[in-house]
Amino acid sequence: MNERKTKRLLRIAGMIFVIIFCLIPFLWMVIISLCERPDFLLHKSLRLTVQNFVDILSVGNLHFLDNLRNSLVISSCAALASTMIGALAAYAISRMPFRGKTSIVVTVLALSMFPQICIVGYLFKIMTRFELINTYNALILPYIAWSLPLALWIQMSYFSRIPIELDKAAQVDGASRIQILFKVILPIAAPGFLSTILLLFMFSFNEFLFALMLTTDHNARTVPVGISMFQGLHGELPWGYIMAASVISCIPVILVALIFQKRIIQGLTQGAVKH
Amino acid sequence: MNRKIKEPVSFLLPLIFFIAAFLLFPVLGTFWNSLWQDVPFMARRFVAFDNYVGLMKDGQFWQASFFTIAFACISVSLEMAFGMITALILNEKSRLRGALRGIALIPWAIPSVIGARIWQLIFRYDYGVANITLKAIGIGPVNWLGTSAGAFAALVLADVWRTTPFVAIILLAGLQTVPDDVLKQAQIDGANIFQRFHRITLPMIKPIIMVAILFRTIDAMRVFDLIYVITGGGPGGTTASLSVYGYKFFLTGDFGYGSAVSVILFIIALTTAIIYMEIGKLRSQ
Repeated sequence: MNERKTKRLLRIAGMIFVIIFCLIPFLWMVIISLCERPDFLLHKSLRLTVQNFVDILSVGNLHFLDNLRNSLVISSCAALASTMIGALAAYAISRMPFRGKTSIVVTVLALSMFPQICIVGYLFKIMTRFELINTYNALILPYIAWSLPLALWIQMSYFSRIPIELDKAAQVDGASRIQILFKVILPIAAPGFLSTILLLFMFSFNEFLFALMLTTDHNARTVPVGISMFQGLHGELPWGYIMAASVISCIPVILVALIFQKRIIQGLTQGAVKH
Repeated sequence: MNRKIKEPVSFLLPLIFFIAAFLLFPVLGTFWNSLWQDVPFMARRFVAFDNYVGLMKDGQFWQASFFTIAFACISVSLEMAFGMITALILNEKSRLRGALRGIALIPWAIPSVIGARIWQLIFRYDYGVANITLKAIGIGPVNWLGTSAGAFAALVLADVWRTTPFVAIILLAGLQTVPDDVLKQAQIDGANIFQRFHRITLPMIKPIIMVAILFRTIDAMRVFDLIYVITGGGPGGTTASLSVYGYKFFLTGDFGYGSAVSVILFIIALTTAIIYMEIGKLRSQ
């Protein structure tokens, strides 16, 4: 009895803690985005407004919609390409016998641990050399590479659970490797394929350092860079705008996170558990 | 080439191309660049290890190295503790389980820059929620972002908020591998909830804890977004991590020196990973 009580108490306390800790700062962002003044607590005069949202979406020189469009296009392209390339590689590694498999996987995973700052300086030089600075390609190409370790890792674990007899049967029927991948494996691993795309989308959508270094204005600037660059008059930050832009930018990622919660968790943990 | 080798190579080629061109090559380029003097309006000049010699005499660099290591140690310890608590709660069967998992994902899912902006506002001196709350209970106000200790605490807290869900989700996967009947049996044998955690759960999920610590430590060492937005490295450069410090040189066009800072961060991270894995090997023997 005593034990059950302790346990219940702990559980409730823990749940409240999780909710407060995770949610309050997030809700604070929503509240500020809807307030006329960010310092309403000090003046104890709360006046709600949607003006911040209206401005963010309509005032052209804030460039929020440009940033959002850039982010959506860049992240989608990078996520799709990276998932496809990752699928090809994951298929080869989980299905074909060849030497040096483990070293390829280990190398790719080790690369994902590299500090980004070790890449971005030279990347800037490369992109300048090819006159790609401030274009979508300047971000899409490195994002593909940067998210490939994750794409490979997740899809390997999905593919390795599909019985190899299916491949053999298809091979007997005369299917080529590429046909097997697209007509046999990917349809079965479709949930994994989809969750990989979504995870990689979030991954690229949130990326900051590359985007900061490789873009110069609203033609290619992404949402995180835009939000980091809001400047007001006299050095005072326009908090209403910042938070309104943040709320809108959070919508796609949060939708993805909540709807595909189970798949994301699966995707993230499969690798770790195996390790 | 026979078919046996050709086939895997053609499947792996796109991956190898992208990783070689946009990860490996730039990293090697950074190493190479760190041996050059490469500043705007001057001819590039090979200077061998001059940039590194300069670093050794650079107080700001030592400050940034020390900050990076301290930040990683403290925030990872807190994240592991909070992450474990969160994972244990999420693992409990209750009607709220699904909703709780969704909520726990939010800080991790939203862009780090947005999280940083939120905490920057919370820690504002004049009307930040942190100070208003402290004032209400009779403490403060604390000059969070204007003093190096305050800024350090604020940054750690923001990082803990952002990455605890990630740690929790990794640990949760571990908790789910602990068989229920073993815990039940221990309960019948009279072990209380803390004993069961300490003697059964913890040893069983130890490998996963080790992986989570390694991932998080390497990730915390390269921290950039949070610091760039919340403090910009200030006050007086006391919260600049090596990534932020190196970026400042790239920004002004000093690619040689910036590359040298980056290489040092690379070496610190790599050494940490190797030492950590060696310790793991020794322990498991």
